[in-house]
Amino acid sequence: MANTMLEVKDLSTKYVTRFNEGVYAVDRVSLKVEEGKSLGIAGESGCGKSTLALSLMGYYFPPLHYMNGDITINGNNISGLKAEDVRKTILGKEVAYIPQAAMNALNPTRKIIHFIEDVILEHEMYVTKKDIYGRAKKLFETLGLPPEVLQKYPVELSGGMKQRTVIAISVMLLPKVLIADEPSSALDVTSQKMVIKMLKHLMEAGFISSMIFITHELPLLYNVVDDIMVMYAGQIVEKGSSHEMVFDPIHPYSKGLMGSIIVPEKGLRDVKLTAIPGVPPNLKKPPAGCRFAERCRFVRPECRVTDVAMREAEHGRMYRCIIPEAELREAYAREEHKNG
Amino acid sequence: MKHILQQVFRSGKFVTGFSIFMAIILIVVFYPMIITDAPLSIIGQGTFFPPGIYVSVYDSLSSTTYILNLDDATTKRITNKLNDEDRVSIKEWLVAAGIPESEIDTTDTQKLLDQWFTNYDSQKNVPGMTNAKRNYYVRLNTALKSLLSPEAAAVMQVNPLNNELEQIGTINQTDYVNVGEVANIRILPLGTDNFGRDVLTELVSATRVSLQIGFVAGIIATLIGLTLGLLAGYIGGFVDDIITFITNLFIVIPPFVLLILISFSIGQEQRGAFTIAVVIGFTSWVWTARAVRSQVISLRNRDHVNLSKLSGHSIVHIILNDILPYILSYVIMAFILQISSGILAEAGLSILGLGPRTTDVPTLGLMMNWAMIYQAHILGNWWAYMPVLVTIALITFSMNLMNTGMDQIFNPALRD
Amino acid sequence: MLKGYLKYFLNKLGWFALTFVFAFLLNFILPRLMPGDPVAAIVSRFAQGMSNTSGVQAIYEQYTELFGTNKPMTEQFFIYLKNVARGDFGFSFSQYPRTVADVIKSSIWWTIALQFPAIIVGWLIGNTLGALAAYLKGGFDKVLMPISLFVSNFPTFGMAVIFMVVFGVNLKWFPTSGGYGFDLIPNFSWNFIQSVIVHYQLPFWSIVVIAIGGQAIGMRSMSIYELNADYVKYSRFMGIKDRKIVGYVFRNAMLPQVTGLALSIGTMVGGALVAEIVFSYPGLGTTLLRAVLGQDYPLISAVTLIITVMALFANFIIEILYGFIDPRIKATQSD
Repeated sequence: MANTMLEVKDLSTKYVTRFNEGVYAVDRVSLKVEEGKSLGIAGESGCGKSTLALSLMGYYFPPLHYMNGDITINGNNISGLKAEDVRKTILGKEVAYIPQAAMNALNPTRKIIHFIEDVILEHEMYVTKKDIYGRAKKLFETLGLPPEVLQKYPVELSGGMKQRTVIAISVMLLPKVLIADEPSSALDVTSQKMVIKMLKHLMEAGFISSMIFITHELPLLYNVVDDIMVMYAGQIVEKGSSHEMVFDPIHPYSKGLMGSIIVPEKGLRDVKLTAIPGVPPNLKKPPAGCRFAERCRFVRPECRVTDVAMREAEHGRMYRCIIPEAELREAYAREEHKNG
Repeated sequence: MKHILQQVFRSGKFVTGFSIFMAIILIVVFYPMIITDAPLSIIGQGTFFPPGIYVSVYDSLSSTTYILNLDDATTKRITNKLNDEDRVSIKEWLVAAGIPESEIDTTDTQKLLDQWFTNYDSQKNVPGMTNAKRNYYVRLNTALKSLLSPEAAAVMQVNPLNNELEQIGTINQTDYVNVGEVANIRILPLGTDNFGRDVLTELVSATRVSLQIGFVAGIIATLIGLTLGLLAGYIGGFVDDIITFITNLFIVIPPFVLLILISFSIGQEQRGAFTIAVVIGFTSWVWTARAVRSQVISLRNRDHVNLSKLSGHSIVHIILNDILPYILSYVIMAFILQISSGILAEAGLSILGLGPRTTDVPTLGLMMNWAMIYQAHILGNWWAYMPVLVTIALITFSMNLMNTGMDQIFNPALRD
Repeated sequence: MLKGYLKYFLNKLGWFALTFVFAFLLNFILPRLMPGDPVAAIVSRFAQGMSNTSGVQAIYEQYTELFGTNKPMTEQFFIYLKNVARGDFGFSFSQYPRTVADVIKSSIWWTIALQFPAIIVGWLIGNTLGALAAYLKGGFDKVLMPISLFVSNFPTFGMAVIFMVVFGVNLKWFPTSGGYGFDLIPNFSWNFIQSVIVHYQLPFWSIVVIAIGGQAIGMRSMSIYELNADYVKYSRFMGIKDRKIVGYVFRNAMLPQVTGLALSIGTMVGGALVAEIVFSYPGLGTTLLRAVLGQDYPLISAVTLIITVMALFANFIIEILYGFIDPRIKATQSD
């Protein structure tokens, strides 16, 4: 069995607004990523997937606050560590992050190489600037980036180049887990492709041991990751292999989500585009019972009473619904038949 | 639009600023309806009468007198007359006459007087006392004695028949008149200025004129700035280069210098409040032009603008419908700033003596100028300049509060 | 890199020269655009208040020669240009027989020594306070910001009057007017220097306080904006310590504040001139007031020109320094 790179158990975090209200954006999330594997997290904007990405690193600063749960990275439980220790020993080294808006992720008045020096000097004690330059140059060359970039300021780089530079900096210390939060959403199609190619290459060449990829663009996920989790209102509602999740979702929300996008994949082209009516619940006061109940077309009275737990389905898949898998599949089949 | 207004009015800062500003406007509008005096009419003969209630002495004499026997009347009378310097002098004399210093309390008027009258002797020489000082003590003694004597004051009048002075009445120390029965009373809440004009009436009028100057200057500056900013931002290219060049020129050349040059060249006789407002407007549009230009540039390539272009709408149509609504909040904020800076510019000019001509209307700057020229601030006549400063501060502060409130709503990053 | 900076420098120098020419032109043209014959009007107005007829005659001739009022505009301009280049601004009307150049020479250093230190000190204190307010938030921010907002909207002359009344008239800590004791003759004695320092305090601090308010607000906004920037979050998650990130943020927030100072120096100088008047400080502001009161046209024209040149020059210096502080300038100009 492969080594587990990242394991998260019952992680809950919240935002505290300036009016001192809690927004419970991540609610008892559990997940596991093994060596050489990649996990995609999908959901509508505001479902908590970006917050989850930030919460996975065990380093919290206002307005984000840790509530409970365990994070284990490469066999080390980091939940008990002091923030300062997490910063020194984990961030950038064990787990690295690529932000959503990588366009502005670099300090505009600092040369790329100086920022790399700052990063490395935080984690390694006996290292000279010459060494750092040598390492950075080698890494950039390996990743197909011109080494001249190192001597430039972010303003001098194009959008795609900036994004790839950020990725290169993130993997500088060969992290075990790379968390990429919509790394390509602001780019043009060509740059998007390059970024995706680069991420895949990082996995294959062993720069990173595992990856979590967060996006609202499902087709992208299907191409990049091994497994997919769907998030709704701060909770995981379903997880499975990416093929199963795209072609055979079980949870009504996943079903709706897959139906609400145009996927140019074979076999999905004819699927009708459907929007999910309604809006997600307010995470300041999450409802009792199933959080999707308000928008679910199969809703039953008992849905709104108690928390719905994750249940297992075939091939080790998990979903969060009180309706048995078979019944849901039957309902989907009936709908498809009716729609012709 | 309604939504934005609701949002704006939920901002504490905006509401505070708005309330102060509206209060000023209301006073400016309603005060002249109640007090209809001409703001520049000179009522006081002399300079800087302190604030207070002025009662006609002549009318008091002919009013019904009432006798009130009040125990502390004498003490109060003397307390009022005996100033701090006199008290210290009395103490000096008493100490010199051999009274222990610990027994003298200059704040206890009654005791001090008792000590004075029992010990004072005009013949007695205190060592080291000058002749002038001796005479001063004699005068002081007489004055105090007359204050204490229970004798009445006589009211005399010249008899027109024989040109002789005749006593027509007496005023006793216990005589009182009811202020309500005196025909002429004038309340001067802020006293009078150096010309003897009622400061409050003048101030209200000045505030109105200054606000008008601010508005006119603001409208002109905003219109010029908006037009240039829109042209530069939307058309771009050569037009943009030219306008940006001019804007940058006027940013580095101190606007105040231009104001001085123009105002001086116009000449005192030609300078009305309106002219000054126009001049201020023409020298303060640069910031608006700059802000509008950068906003328009960021808007120029948005999808909805492109869509409008593709639909073949005219430039005017696009600017009015697809650009103006998006920059309106900035324009309004800039306008508010222009008003307050226009008021300040007028004040600055007036202090230099280049403000509106002084004959028809007062402005806040002119009032300040007069107060400064007549040294109100050095003479301690606070009522001549302090209310003016407070008014200026309230106007600019309230406007900037409104602006900050709006800024926080339109730029959420600044919120906390 | 050096090449990039040189390019930036030349660019700014060119701009400085251009604005200078333009300001010079404005200074020449504006008064002449006004209707009527300003020369005759001014000289006759002046002559009314003067008993010395030979003086009037001298000024009239001087003035006509200086401005060549009966010659065409372009010729007048070149005469003016030639005279100004020689530092010859003619006689002062109000302080005859002193020349304008003489009057300005005796007041300009007072203004330079007062305003520029005051504006710089105000800028430094204001930026420090603004950065602290953004970083510390809470009580400090809540107290400092309304005060700054109030102060920054207060006219400089108002602050000057209040300082004067409180510290000069009531508390008597400092003298209320002049640049040095009225009974002293300027020299380098300790007595005189002490008097100058004491007289300096009130005008200096009233300009400083006003500058602090505006700068603090600007720096706070910029810092909050930068603290919320994406690079702060990314740097944090790459494990960089907070102290270093705060360094990034304040450096970046300060840069626009430097440009802002360059742009607003003209406005600040205007306000400070009026503050000088309140204290009868022997600088250009007071000279200007006297010139206005004395209808001293040559003096006004020269003072406004000098003030403009000073503001332009200050702006130029700041821009040049900015090129050193912002590393992007050198980098982006070189390609």
